[in-house]
Amino acid sequence: MKKIFMVLLAGLLVFSLALSGCAKQQVQQSAQPEQAKTPEEKVDVVKIGAIFPLTGSAASTGVKLKYAVETAEEIINGEHPELDMPLAREAGLPNLGNAKVKFIFADHQANPEVAKSEAERLIQNEKVVGLIGCYHSSATKPASQVAERFRIPFVAGSSSSAALTERGLEYFTRIAPNDDMETAFFFEYLKYLNATYDAGIKTIGVAYIDNEYGVHAAQMVDKWLKDKYQGEGFEKVVDVKYPKDLSNVDTEVQKIKAAKPDAIFHASYIGDITQFVKKYKEFDVVPKAVVNYCGGFQDPQFVVNLGKDADFFSGSNATAPSLFAKMDTLNKINEIYKKKSGVDFDGPALEDFASAMVIADAINQAGTIDSQKVMEAIKSAVFEAPYFVSGKIKFGKNGQNEYSASVMVQTQNGKYEAVWPVDYQTAEPIPTFPAWKNR
Amino acid sequence: MVETKKIFSQKQVLSWMCILIAVLPLAIPNMNFHHVMIMFVIFAALGQSWNIITGFAGQTSFGHAAFFGIGAYTSSVLFWKYMVSPWVGMLLGALIAMGVAVIVSYPCFQLKGHYFAIATLAIGEIIQQIFVSWEYVEGATGISLPILPEGFLQLQFHQSKLPYFYIAYVLFVLVIVVAYGIEHSKMGYYLKAIRESQEAGEAIGINPTRYKLFAMMISSFMTAIFGSLYAQYILYIDPFMVFSLPLSMKIVLLTVLGGLGTLYGPIIGAAILIPLSEYTRILFGGTGKGIDLIIFGLLVVLVACYQPKGMIGLFGGWARKGQRTGGEKGE
Amino acid sequence: MILQIIVSGILMGFVYSLVAVGLTLTWGVLDIINFAHGEFLMMGMYSAFWMYSLFGMDPLLSIPFAMGIVFVMGYFTYRLIIKKVINAPGLTALLATFGLSLLLRNLAQFIWSPNYRFINQSIVMDKKIVLGSITLGVPQMVAAISSIVMTMAVFYFVEKTKTGRAIQATALDKNTAKLMGIHTEKIYALTFGISGACVGIAGALTATFFPIHPESGALYSLLAFVIVALGGFGNIKGALYSAIIIGITEALGGFLFGTQFKYALVFLIYLIVIQIKPKGLFGW
Repeated sequence: MKKIFMVLLAGLLVFSLALSGCAKQQVQQSAQPEQAKTPEEKVDVVKIGAIFPLTGSAASTGVKLKYAVETAEEIINGEHPELDMPLAREAGLPNLGNAKVKFIFADHQANPEVAKSEAERLIQNEKVVGLIGCYHSSATKPASQVAERFRIPFVAGSSSSAALTERGLEYFTRIAPNDDMETAFFFEYLKYLNATYDAGIKTIGVAYIDNEYGVHAAQMVDKWLKDKYQGEGFEKVVDVKYPKDLSNVDTEVQKIKAAKPDAIFHASYIGDITQFVKKYKEFDVVPKAVVNYCGGFQDPQFVVNLGKDADFFSGSNATAPSLFAKMDTLNKINEIYKKKSGVDFDGPALEDFASAMVIADAINQAGTIDSQKVMEAIKSAVFEAPYFVSGKIKFGKNGQNEYSASVMVQTQNGKYEAVWPVDYQTAEPIPTFPAWKNR
Repeated sequence: MVETKKIFSQKQVLSWMCILIAVLPLAIPNMNFHHVMIMFVIFAALGQSWNIITGFAGQTSFGHAAFFGIGAYTSSVLFWKYMVSPWVGMLLGALIAMGVAVIVSYPCFQLKGHYFAIATLAIGEIIQQIFVSWEYVEGATGISLPILPEGFLQLQFHQSKLPYFYIAYVLFVLVIVVAYGIEHSKMGYYLKAIRESQEAGEAIGINPTRYKLFAMMISSFMTAIFGSLYAQYILYIDPFMVFSLPLSMKIVLLTVLGGLGTLYGPIIGAAILIPLSEYTRILFGGTGKGIDLIIFGLLVVLVACYQPKGMIGLFGGWARKGQRTGGEKGE
Repeated sequence: MILQIIVSGILMGFVYSLVAVGLTLTWGVLDIINFAHGEFLMMGMYSAFWMYSLFGMDPLLSIPFAMGIVFVMGYFTYRLIIKKVINAPGLTALLATFGLSLLLRNLAQFIWSPNYRFINQSIVMDKKIVLGSITLGVPQMVAAISSIVMTMAVFYFVEKTKTGRAIQATALDKNTAKLMGIHTEKIYALTFGISGACVGIAGALTATFFPIHPESGALYSLLAFVIVALGGFGNIKGALYSAIIIGITEALGGFLFGTQFKYALVFLIYLIVIQIKPKGLFGW
C-alpha cells in the first residue's frame, strides 16, 4: 500500500509542478511581448479578461455569459458582412491593423476573494487591456477596484447593484440598468397597466433573496415608494426576505397570501422563483401582476421548467426572443449564439455580449491599447448597439449607461413577449392573472 | 516502514520551513504568485489555530469561520465608520472573538464528539445569519473598505503585495511559536490527555473544561487576527465570504490533509491545498466545467485513502516522533 | 393560517426525515460523518430526472431505479473509499467524504451542465387536497407517506431481521461482532448501501417538487446533519421525530420571526435542546 501511495504522490507532485510550471510559462510568454512592445508597434492579439461564475450555484448563468462573450469574439474576429454593426464586417480591429481580440475567461466561483485575485492575475500575468464581468455585484466590486488600481478599463455587463456606480471609480462603467432604474421602471409599468387596462393595482408585496441583489432591490422599492409612488397611491403591504439557500417556500408564500398584494416584486434566482411559482399555484395565490428584477425569471429555463405555469409573469429584460423578428441584427447574432449555447439570448447574456462589444469597439476607436486612451473613448463615445432596443450605449459621468435597454417582458403561451414600452410591443400585456384553475 | 533516524529536531525543521517560506516570494517576483503565497500563509496560520482546539484538544470545530468573520468585521467596521487603524481593530476583533468563543463554547464543552462538532457548525451558521441581517454592518451588502494612500498604519499597500505577505508572515510565525509553546508546555500535554480520554484526564486532576476553554480562546483569538488581515487585504467583505461554512471546512480540510494534531500538518496541508486550488482554477476554471474542482476532490479522496494520517505520514521520522511524545504523555 | 403553516412544516419534516434516516444509519453504525450524503441525494434526483427526460418515466415509478443506483453508489463508496479510512485516526474519514462530495458535485456539473432542471410531469404533480382552510400538496403528501413507510421498513429491518441484528451488533462493538462470526466488512458495505438506497428514494421523491441542480443536495444534507444529531446518532425513529420538529420550527419560526431566519432558528433549536439532552432527544 505504501508503494501505491508513493506512486500516487509522485504523480501528484509531478502534476502540481507541471501546473505551476505551466503557470510560470504563461507568465514568461506573456512577459516577453511586453518587453518588446512599444506603443507604436503593431499588436497582433488584444487580450481582454472576462470573469464569470463558472462553477457553483450560479454556474448555469455564468456558462451562458461565457457563450455570449465568445459570440462577441467570433463576430469581432471573423468577417460578418451580414451584420450591420461595428467591428462585424472586417476581421479583427481595423484601426489596430486587424488585430484579433482574445477573451480570457476566469472563474470567480461567486467568491469576491477569487474575483479579486483573478482580476489581478489577468492584468499582471495575462496582460489583459480590459476587463468585463462579473455578473455578481459582490464579485464585481473587488474586481473593479483592482482594475481601478491598475488603471485598466472595466465594463460590467449585467451586474445590477446601484452601489457599483456610486463609488466614483474612473475606470468603471456598466451596461445594465441598475436596480434603482429598474424599480422606477416597474412602477411606471404598473401605472401604465392601471391607466390603460384599469388593472387597479395598489398594494405591493416584495419577495427577495437575502443577499446583496435582493436586499438592495428591496431598499430601492422602499426608496421609490417614499420619494414618489406612495403619493400616487401605491402601498407596500408585505415584505418577505428569504434565506439564500432554500429548501421550501411554504411559509414565505403563506405570508404573501395573507397580505393579498395586487402586485408582487420578485428579486429571485431561478431555483427560488421556480419553487415560488409552484407554491403560488398550490396555495392558489393570484396577484394581479408579478414583476421580476433581472434574475431567475429571465433565464429561459424558467419557461422550460414550469411549462404553462410560467405564463403571465413579467419582468424587465434587455431582450426577448419575440423581439428577434423585429430586430434583424439581433436575430443574426442570436443565431451565432444559439449554435454555441443551444438557447436564445436572455437579458444578462445580451448585456455581457454588449460589454464585450463595447470594450473592443472602444479599443478600436482609440486605435491603441493604451488604457487611458481606451477609457477616454469608453467615456466619450456613443456606441452603436443595434442589438439593444435603445440602439446605442452611452456612459454617464458615474459610468452608468444612460440608455436603459430594458423592456418589460411577459410570458405568454410559453414565450417571452415584449409588452412595454409600447414602441417595442410584440404583444399586448395581459394585465391580470387568471385564476390558476382556469389556465 | 524503516525507522529513520532523527537528524533534525522539530525546532530546526520548523525554522527551515519558515525561512524557505520567507525567501520564496523574493525568488519569484510575480504578483499572482505572491497572492498564492499570502493565501498560503493565512490559511496555514488558520489551520494552525484550528489545530490547537481540534488537533491538540480533540474538540472538532466546524465553525471557525465565525471567529474569522468577527475579526474581519470588527476591524473593517471600525476602519470604515470611524477610521480607526486596522491594527487596533485587529486586536479588538481578536478580543471580541475570544469573548464570543467563551460564551458559545463553554456550554457546548459538555457535548461529546460529533454532537460538539454539529453544535459548532450550528453556531457558525447562526452568527452568519446575524451578520447578514445586521444593518449597522451593511448586512448582506457587505463592506467596501475605503481605499487610502499606502501605509503601515492603515494597512494598505497598492504597489506591491510583499508588505501584505510579510505582515501575514510575521503573524504566521507568531502563531507557530504559540502553537509550539503550547505543544511543549504543560497545557499541551493536558490537552492531549483530554483528547485521548477526558475521564482519564479528570482522574489525574486535570480540569478538562478549563483547558478546553483556554485552547478555544487562543484558537479563536488567532483566527480573528487573520480575519482582520484578510479583510484588509481583499478590501471588501460580506457575510457570505467570511462566515461561510465552506471557509470553516477549508480550514479543517487543509489541516487534516497535512496531518491533524501536528505542527507541520497545517503548513504542509496549506502548501498543497492552496496552490493546487489556485492553479487548477487558473488552468481549468475558465472552461466552466468544474474540472478544477473534480481534480481537487479526487486528490483529496486519494490522499485520505492512501495516507490516512495526512501527508505528514510520508515524512516518517519527525512525524512519528511528534505523535509519540504526544501519545506517551497522553497515556 | 397558523394551522396551514404547521401542517406545511410537518410535511416538510417528513421530507427531511427521508434524507436523515439514511444519514443516521451510517453515522450510528460506522461512526463517520458522510459529507457526501447530500450528493447522494442529488444523484437520486438526477436518476429520476433522466428516467423522466429520456423515457418519460414518472418520478414515482423510477423510485426503485434511483434506489438501486444510489444503493450501488453507497456500496462502492464503502468498498473503495470508506473501508480505507474507517480505522484512520481523527477526521480522515471526513476528509475522504468531503473530497467525494466535491468530486460528485462537479462531475454532475461537468456531465449534466449546471442548469436548474425540473420535472414537470408526474401523476402527483400540481395535485392537492383541500381540507377546509388547509391545502396539502400531493407530492409532499406522497413523500410524507413514503417517509413513514421507509422509516418503518428500515426500523423493522434493523430491529427484527437477522442481518439487521448483525448491523446492530457491529455498531455496538465491531470486534465482538467479528468474534461472533459476523462478517463486519459486509455489514458495513451493506449499511452504506442501505443508506444510499434511502437517500435515493428521497431523491426521486423530492424531484417531484424541488429543482434539480448539482448543488441541490447541499442544504438538505446540512439540515440532515442537525436532524440526526438532534435525534441522537444512529436512532432511526429519533431521526423521524426530530425531522418533524425541525420542519415545524422552520415553518413556524420563519412565520413568527421572519423567513430569513428560518434556518438559523433550526440551528438554535438544536443548540438549546442539546444543552438539556447532550446526546440528542432520543440518544442513548
